Amino acid sequence: MVKAERMQVEETPGSAWLTGLAAWFIPGLGHVLLKRWFRAALMGGAVWVCFFVGLAMGGHLFDLTTDGWIILQIPPMIANLGSGALYIVSWLLNYGFADDPVRAARATYEYGNTFLLIAGLLNFLNMLDAFDIAAGRKS
Amino acid sequence: MALFAALASIIFGAMAKDTTRERLIYGLKVFAEFMVIGLVLSWILYFIP
Repeated sequence: MVKAERMQVEETPGSAWLTGLAAWFIPGLGHVLLKRWFRAALMGGAVWVCFFVGLAMGGHLFDLTTDGWIILQIPPMIANLGSGALYIVSWLLNYGFADDPVRAARATYEYGNTFLLIAGLLNFLNMLDAFDIAAGRKS
Repeated sequence: MALFAALASIIFGAMAKDTTRERLIYGLKVFAEFMVIGLVLSWILYFIP
């Protein structure tokens, strides 16, 4: 009986996975789908601001094209991938990926990198939050 | 640094706790911690050649 109850509690509706996916793909969309407008504006907005401030500072986005060790590119790429469509569109436009020494010499280059990495990581948190709300694990 | 601290604390604050008041207090606390630790580390690194 107790086991059956536990199984019921742990079941996750399919819509929660879709909400999580939407939250990852477009920062804030997951909460919009849940009609959490303020949360969407606050949390999604923070990711968008973080990403574009990072790009404006001349930050660098990571992918697997490198002359060095590919393995070193993987962790920051995973962080960048958290930005979802923002990363994908930048990748399609090839904006922010070039290893440009002039760009790297800017005083804000490392700050920009950090902002871009953190935008992705914060969006992973957004994604988990939207998933938990959709799954009924959080109000 | 302040912008970074603000953006990160918005997310942390919004995710944590149960009530709006608790979230606001937690967000402000995280922001303050980011700022204080950032400033302390900056001064420590300033003296390290």
